[in-house]
Amino acid sequence: MVKDLKQYWELSNQDHPEDIFPMVLTSATQELFDCVADEDVTGESPYKLLEKDDIIQDIKTRAAVSDFSPVKQIVLDYPEDELLLVYDRDFTYGQSFYLVLTPDAKDRILNPPKPETPEVFEKEVVKTPEPKPWISFGSDKEIDEEAFKESREKLLYKFSRVRRKFGVPVCFSDRNTADYLECASYQDSRFSIKQMQRDCGMQAVPRLQSSSAQTQWKFQKNIFTQYTPRELSVEEKENILQLESLKTFCNSVTPRVLQALQQEGIMNVFFDDWKALGTATEDGDWAGKVSEGLMLYQAFTDQKYTKDKKICSVNWHPTIYGVIAVALTAKKEDQLNESAVRASFILFYTFSDPSNPQLLLECPDDIFAFEFCPSDPNIIVGGCINGQVVLWDISAHVTGLQGTQPGKKVSVNTDTCDFHQDLDDNKENKTPIVRYCAVSALDSSHKAPITDVQWLPATFEVTRTGLPVENMYNVSTQVVTCSPDCTIMFWDVRVSNLLSHSASERRQIMDQKTPYSVPDTFKHLDRTWKPLFRVSLPKIDTSGEYAPLKFNMEHYTCNANENGDSSKVIPDYSQLILPSAKTLKALEDVNTKLYIGTEDGEIIYIDWKLGKDDSGRLQSAKPLHCFSIHHWLVNTVQRSPFFKDIILTAGSWNFAIWKEGVMDGPILLSASSEQVCTVGCWSLSRPAVFFIGKEDGSIEVWNLLEKTNEPVQVHSHVTNAKITCIKPWAASSKQHFLAVTDDLGMVRVFEIPKTLYVPSRSESLNVKKYFELEEDRLKDLLRREELWEKQKETEGLKKRTEPDKPVTSLVENEEANVKEYNDYLMLEENVLKGMGLWRAPADTQDT
Amino acid sequence: MAEVEETLKRIQSQNGVQGIIIVNTEGIPIKTTLDNASTVQYAGLIHQLVMKARSTVRDIDPQNDLTFLRIRSKKNEIMIAPDKDYFLIVIQNPSD
Repeated sequence: MVKDLKQYWELSNQDHPEDIFPMVLTSATQELFDCVADEDVTGESPYKLLEKDDIIQDIKTRAAVSDFSPVKQIVLDYPEDELLLVYDRDFTYGQSFYLVLTPDAKDRILNPPKPETPEVFEKEVVKTPEPKPWISFGSDKEIDEEAFKESREKLLYKFSRVRRKFGVPVCFSDRNTADYLECASYQDSRFSIKQMQRDCGMQAVPRLQSSSAQTQWKFQKNIFTQYTPRELSVEEKENILQLESLKTFCNSVTPRVLQALQQEGIMNVFFDDWKALGTATEDGDWAGKVSEGLMLYQAFTDQKYTKDKKICSVNWHPTIYGVIAVALTAKKEDQLNESAVRASFILFYTFSDPSNPQLLLECPDDIFAFEFCPSDPNIIVGGCINGQVVLWDISAHVTGLQGTQPGKKVSVNTDTCDFHQDLDDNKENKTPIVRYCAVSALDSSHKAPITDVQWLPATFEVTRTGLPVENMYNVSTQVVTCSPDCTIMFWDVRVSNLLSHSASERRQIMDQKTPYSVPDTFKHLDRTWKPLFRVSLPKIDTSGEYAPLKFNMEHYTCNANENGDSSKVIPDYSQLILPSAKTLKALEDVNTKLYIGTEDGEIIYIDWKLGKDDSGRLQSAKPLHCFSIHHWLVNTVQRSPFFKDIILTAGSWNFAIWKEGVMDGPILLSASSEQVCTVGCWSLSRPAVFFIGKEDGSIEVWNLLEKTNEPVQVHSHVTNAKITCIKPWAASSKQHFLAVTDDLGMVRVFEIPKTLYVPSRSESLNVKKYFELEEDRLKDLLRREELWEKQKETEGLKKRTEPDKPVTSLVENEEANVKEYNDYLMLEENVLKGMGLWRAPADTQDT
Repeated sequence: MAEVEETLKRIQSQNGVQGIIIVNTEGIPIKTTLDNASTVQYAGLIHQLVMKARSTVRDIDPQNDLTFLRIRSKKNEIMIAPDKDYFLIVIQNPSD
C-alpha cells in the first residue's frame, strides 16, 4: 500500500504530462531491448516500439531490479501490444528515456496531426456547383409506401348499341321496378375494418403576425397655439382718449345704445306670455278627465299578519318599483296581554299582489321605526319596542321582490327560498321569512321604545365624540336612533376594532354560529353591538331631560364626486372596518345640529357634538333652543326636500314650519284644528305642497302658494281609523304615489294627480320668497311685541306716578251726552235752513 | 376725456348694465369698466364677430352698413355699437 502511494506520488509529482513516464534505462536493459542510446535511438529517430510481452518478461525475470518495475502495473494494463519508448536526448522530462503510457499519446507522438496547409488557389475558377449524388436516408422507402400504384391492370368495358340500330329512332318504355332484381348494397358484418391509425399531415400556423405600416403626415398643422392679447400701454390709452375722433364717436353712439338699453328695461320681447299662462297642464290631458284629488290606486292588507295590528312605519323601497314595506305593531291592548305572544314582522308588499306580502322580515319585537340604507337598499335598520336596534340583509331575496314586477314573469328562485319551509308545502304560497342579521346588545340599547331611526348620509361620518369627519367609503354606515328614554344614540354598522372588546367577548363573537339561512353580513355585530356615543338632552332652564320622539338632521351634501367613480360600487358591508378617528379628515362645515320633537310638544335645537365639561368627561351640550309649540306628542319633524333650512313639525292639534337659523319661533304656525294632526310630510316634487294626516282618517293637502290658512283639499274619511303614516314616492315622472297607513293595518296607495305633483312656474322661488316674507313678519311681530311691552311698562310707570284722575260717574256722562246731542240738533237745523230744506219736526206734543 | 367719462356714466346709470368696453378697430380695448381678463376676452371675440357681421351686411348690399348688433343670451344681453374707428360694447342683465 505504501509502495503504491509512493509510486503514485512519484508519478504525480513530476513536471511532465501524465501520459508519459520518464525513466532511466540501464545499459543492460538498453541492450536487451535494442534501444541503446545514440545507437539504436537517436535524436532524429527517438521512437522505439517495445513489445509488451517482452517488458513483462523482463519484469518477471528481474523483478525489482528491472527498470520497468515502476510502470509494471501500467504495462500490464496496457491495451495494445506495443509500447512506445522515446529517447529523450535533451532531458526535457528529467530522464534520458520516457515511456508513453497511453495508446492515444503514442498515436499522437508517432503521427502528429498534420498542420492545416493553407489552400493555395492558383487559379480561381468559378465552377458551377456540380450536382452531388443523392444519398438515400430512407425517405424513398416512405415515399414508395405512400405512393399510389396500380395493383392490377385497369379493366375496360365498352358498351355500344348494335350496329343495325344506329340512327334508328329510339322508343323508350316503362318497366316496373319490381320486376328487376335489385342488388342493393349492404354492410357485410363479416367484413369490417376499423381504422385504428390514420396518417395525417399538420402544419403549425403561427398565431402572431407582425406587420407594420407607415403613416404619412401629409397635412402638417399645429395642434395648438398659444398667444397673448395685444394691449395698449397706459400712455397710448391716454393719447387715444384725448383724440377728437373718440369724442365724436361717443357722441354718435350714445343715443343708439341708450335706446337699446331702455328698450330692454321696458319689456322682454322674447318672452311668450300666452304660453306661460298655461302653467302645469301639458297638452295631452285635455281630452281625458283631469282629476284634482288623490285617487286610490291600490290597497294592501293581509289577513294573516295584519289582524289587530296597527302600522307604525311605512317605507317605499328606494330602487325597486312598486315595493312598499310596513312595520306592524300590536295595538296597546295587545301589548299588555302577555300570553298572546305573536311574532312581529315587517311586511313587503308589491303592486302586483295586494293581498299577500312578498317578503317578511322577522323582528325580535315590535318595530316602531325602520329605514332602508340609502347606499345599499338591501340593508334595513329598525328600532324595536324594547330599545334594541335590529339589522336585516335581504340581498338573498331581492330577486324574488324584483320578479314580482307587473308584466314580468314570476320566476320563483327555489335556491333562495327559506330553508325553514317543509318540502311538501307549496313553495309559491309561503312567503319567505328573513331573520334579522344582528341586534344590538341589550344592556347598551335604549331603555324605551325606539321611535325614530335614520341613516347618516354617505357624505360624512361621525367619530366617537361626535366630530364629523370625511367618509372614505362613500356609503352610509352610521345610524342615529332616538327614544323617549331621553337619549339619542349614534351607531356604526362596521366591524369595530376588536382590541376594544374583552377576550371573552371576542371568543363569544367568534364562536357564534349564525342560524342556517341568515346572511352573515353583520355577524360581527350580533348581540354585542354598542353605540358609538350617546347624546343626552338636558333641559335648558330646569333640571331633567327631554324625551325625544322624532328628530331630523341636515343632510350634508359635499362634492363627493372627486372621490367616487360614477358607477357606485356597493361595498360588502361585512368587510367594512371602523377606521380610527385620527386618520380621517375632519369636515368643518357639516351642520351638526338636530331638530328634535319631544313627548311634551317641544321642539329642541341641539348640537350633537360632545363637549368636555369641567371634570374633563365627555358630555353633550345643552340644547341651544327649545320651543313649546305643540301641546302634545310631536309626531313629525321633517325637512323640506327643496330647502335645507325649512322644517315641518306636526303634533297635537296644529303643525308648524320652521326655518333653521330663525331662533325666535316658527315662521308659520297653523291654526288649531279640531282633529289631532297625526302625521305630516312634504311633497317630493312641489316645494309648496305638503300633506297632513288626521286622527279621523282624513288627509289634508296644503298648498302654501294658494291658501295659507286652510288646506287646499281635504279628503275626509280616507279610512276609518287614525292615519299613522304618510309617505310620498315618485315612481316615474308621470306617476307619483302617496302611501297612507292607518291604525287597522291597511296600506292605501294613492296616485297623486298631476296638479299636485307638477310644480308651477318658478314655484321654488315663490315659496322661498314666501318663507322669507313670513320670517320677516315674525321678526317684525316680535319686535313690535317688545315695543308694546316697553310701552306698557312706561305707561304703567306713568300711571303710578301721576295722581289719580277723578273717576267720572255715570250720571255725569249721561248729561254730557245729552248736551252733545242737543248741540248736534242745532247744527242740523242751521244747515238745513241754509239749504232751504228745513222742515219743522212733527211735534209729538201736537196730536 | 370728460366727454368719454360722461358717456360712460350715462350708460352706466341705466339699470342692469354690467359693463362697458370701448375697443378700437384692431380689437384692442381702450377703456373699460370690467376687469382685465374679461375685457380682453370680450374685445377679442366680439371684434371678430363685428367684422363678420359688417362684412355680411355689406356683401348683401354695398350701400348698407352695420349700425347695431345685439346678442341675446340666457343670462344677459351684449350690445355692440360699431363706428368708423371704434366700437362700444355694453353688457346688460335684463331684469325679468
